[in-house]
Amino acid sequence: MPGYLADLAVPGALELAFVRSPFAHALIGKVSGPAVTATELGVGDLRLGGHGVAPWPWPALARREARFVGEAVAVVWAETRAQAEDLAESVEVEFEPLEPEAPLRLFERTIDAGAVEACFQRADHVLERTFSCARQTPLPLETRGVLAHFEAGRLTLWSSTQIPHILRRGIAQALELEESAIRVLVPEVGGGFGLKAHVFPEELVAAQLARRLGRPVRWIEDRRENLLASVHAHDNEVLMRAAFGADGRVLAVEADLRCDVGAYSVYPFSASLEPATAASAIFAAYDLQGLRVSARAVTSHRCPVGAYRGVGTNTAVYVTERMLDLIARHVGLDPLEVRRRNALRHLPCTTLGGRELDSGDYLELLRRVESVSGYEALRREQAKARRHGKLFGIGLALFNEHSGTGQSEYRSRGIEEVSGLDACRVRVTAEGRIVIHTSSVEIGQNHAPAYRRLTERMLGVEPGRVDIEEGDTDVCPPGTGAFVSRGAVGVLDAIAGALRLAGEQDLAPGTDVTCSIDPKQVFPSGAHLAVVEVDAVTFVPRLRRYLAVEDCGTLIDQRTVSEQIRGGVAMGAGKVLLEESAYGEDGQPLAATLLDYLVPVAADIPRIEIEHLVSPSPISAQGSKGVGEAGTIGAFGAVANAVADAVAPLGAELLELPYGPQRIFAAIQLATTSKQKKGRRPGG
Amino acid sequence: MNVKISLVANGLEWAGEVEPRLTLADLLRDHLALTGTHLGCEHGVCGACTVLLDGQAARSCLTLAVQADGRQVTTVEGLSDDLLPRELFQCGFCRSGFVCSAEALLRREPLPRAVELPELLAGNICRCTGYEPILEALSARLPG
Ligand code: FES
Ligand code: FES
Repeated sequence: MPGYLADLAVPGALELAFVRSPFAHALIGKVSGPAVTATELGVGDLRLGGHGVAPWPWPALARREARFVGEAVAVVWAETRAQAEDLAESVEVEFEPLEPEAPLRLFERTIDAGAVEACFQRADHVLERTFSCARQTPLPLETRGVLAHFEAGRLTLWSSTQIPHILRRGIAQALELEESAIRVLVPEVGGGFGLKAHVFPEELVAAQLARRLGRPVRWIEDRRENLLASVHAHDNEVLMRAAFGADGRVLAVEADLRCDVGAYSVYPFSASLEPATAASAIFAAYDLQGLRVSARAVTSHRCPVGAYRGVGTNTAVYVTERMLDLIARHVGLDPLEVRRRNALRHLPCTTLGGRELDSGDYLELLRRVESVSGYEALRREQAKARRHGKLFGIGLALFNEHSGTGQSEYRSRGIEEVSGLDACRVRVTAEGRIVIHTSSVEIGQNHAPAYRRLTERMLGVEPGRVDIEEGDTDVCPPGTGAFVSRGAVGVLDAIAGALRLAGEQDLAPGTDVTCSIDPKQVFPSGAHLAVVEVDAVTFVPRLRRYLAVEDCGTLIDQRTVSEQIRGGVAMGAGKVLLEESAYGEDGQPLAATLLDYLVPVAADIPRIEIEHLVSPSPISAQGSKGVGEAGTIGAFGAVANAVADAVAPLGAELLELPYGPQRIFAAIQLATTSKQKKGRRPGG
Repeated sequence: MNVKISLVANGLEWAGEVEPRLTLADLLRDHLALTGTHLGCEHGVCGACTVLLDGQAARSCLTLAVQADGRQVTTVEGLSDDLLPRELFQCGFCRSGFVCSAEALLRREPLPRAVELPELLAGNICRCTGYEPILEALSARLPG
């Protein structure tokens, strides 16, 4: 569909604006002015079935109390957004500030596998550290937006979303409509990164108001709302203990994760998303004899935490890779050697955390990083730079991640709202054009070349004869949407299946076939290397070089893969160096503009070198694996380690993301003062 | 109290009455149907809303429509697609801003040094591409 949501020209559309809570926790008293509140709106909650989580739904509008700064309390509308904002300003809400509530535990996941105790007893060394992974936000350049129109008993909802069918289901449930009475249309989407894979309160409000007012109703989020009240990511604290030998071999790991999931459980993933994915991703690329993880989701008076490119794997890879570097330092080995000694060797295999790794060659990934980066020469360069007083660091990461989560996996986790299926419908028009509809949506991944190439390969149809139409629940087959890097897994398999069926009908005009797939998770992997220089005076870290060796199985479209990796790395680098959705003690957000929430610009990102290794998946039909998240995940390890390595000669140890100048300075100061203390004599 | 203004947008004259508080971005998008100019932050940081005002780059979210009175405005719709073609981008939301920033840059400084491009374009945020395709396309135009 041409144009982004805000570009749609809909005559007579009313523009919405929300009245939002300025308090982290407050009772809502009288609301005066031309606003609609929760009671008047009359919309049910987005209920989450199962998940093993305590129900803690995010209401369309706050009812009795507001639970975080930015939570929508009332809504107004007008002919233009500017007028609507004036109206919102004129609304007076009597808030009665409350003390913060004690954190509630919504979800817990534990893993206890192998001989943890015995390993810790037998190990030469044990290291224990507490890491923290900052609260951040996905920040697509286009904010959220929705346009609802109710006509002749049917609701048409344009939404900048990654999940048209899940959105249809959520709206149907909350508004008590039949799913067939709703059509979700997805215009061009200006980036999602997981943020747009949720059903949001504002979407329920817009849909309900369209039904009540009989006019099209639009809401375009502004950046402040996006930073305060869409979804955040991470905010995890991890206490990790590792038992290892003098040879750097890690025997067992214990980790305790506390995930602050904010004020509510998000739809459709619930509060289980971060802890569940992080738990199984800890040390997942390494050979352990024991693993014990306890991960829990707890509430706070902050923005709800939801999906973000990489989800809990970012935290897991960050803490795993940082720990491995600390271990390397402890036993006096090179970080690359420590990874070589610990990497999983025989794939396929099942990890202690329960990941069924389908294919990959982790030692080869490390070899490629070593040779392509010129690792030895790089270390020599580092030694020289250090002699000249430079803070020059090299960081590595080896990791895998899950892609293409299917129905059985979601059901086993008790998640009903996510179908888990991927589907494709292929039609042949009267003119002989092939039309591909999928359950996915285009959010910048550039589906068309891959789909066209597959069609050409399978059916010998020239690419110019193939049209791709996604993001319309009336014509696309139901499925899961575009997240958890499922495009190259289930979606592609479904397309291949539907194309095969269409081929069996000789692509006769009128052919109309659908294929639905329940994908099984496959595990792309990668080894990344980053070079960072920290300014010795300002402590500003600069990313100087980045190499990503990726293995996402069979390459369907190499250019698309490289683009996803490159963009992902840039994002991950931002997450490590700059981005933080900080809050003050009083629950007030400290990052409400892009001057406080910093993201990387062109000058922050070097050219990113990308190498491909291909270990075809024996599970997905094309041998391919998802690639949307790998870049970001790798950067959480490699960039973090590079900054830490740069300042390590000063005795500083970095544990808390993001690794910006303040944190670096604090770590250096801490190192200096503790050195002074150690140097002092007792009583002296 | 509305104010009468007139301007030339992409070569076409436009005259009308606007609220003094109306931004140039909203004028272009809502009154002139030039929706190619995007809004990513509305507080002057992301660069998505960049247009040319008398040939110079300007944040249309921070410029008031009345400030454009009597001036030439060029938006992405008025510029060639060849400078930074759509295929270089992913979601494409940042593209209009990059096209206008790059155009303004090349008008001001026809031969920037390739190594300076990242700094020269640091006023535009892209969340998808990692910037390299954009920078490469521009440096490919420079001699040497
Ligand atoms: S919208 Fe103008 S700078 Fe972001
Ligand atoms: S291509 Fe998506 S923001 Fe630049």
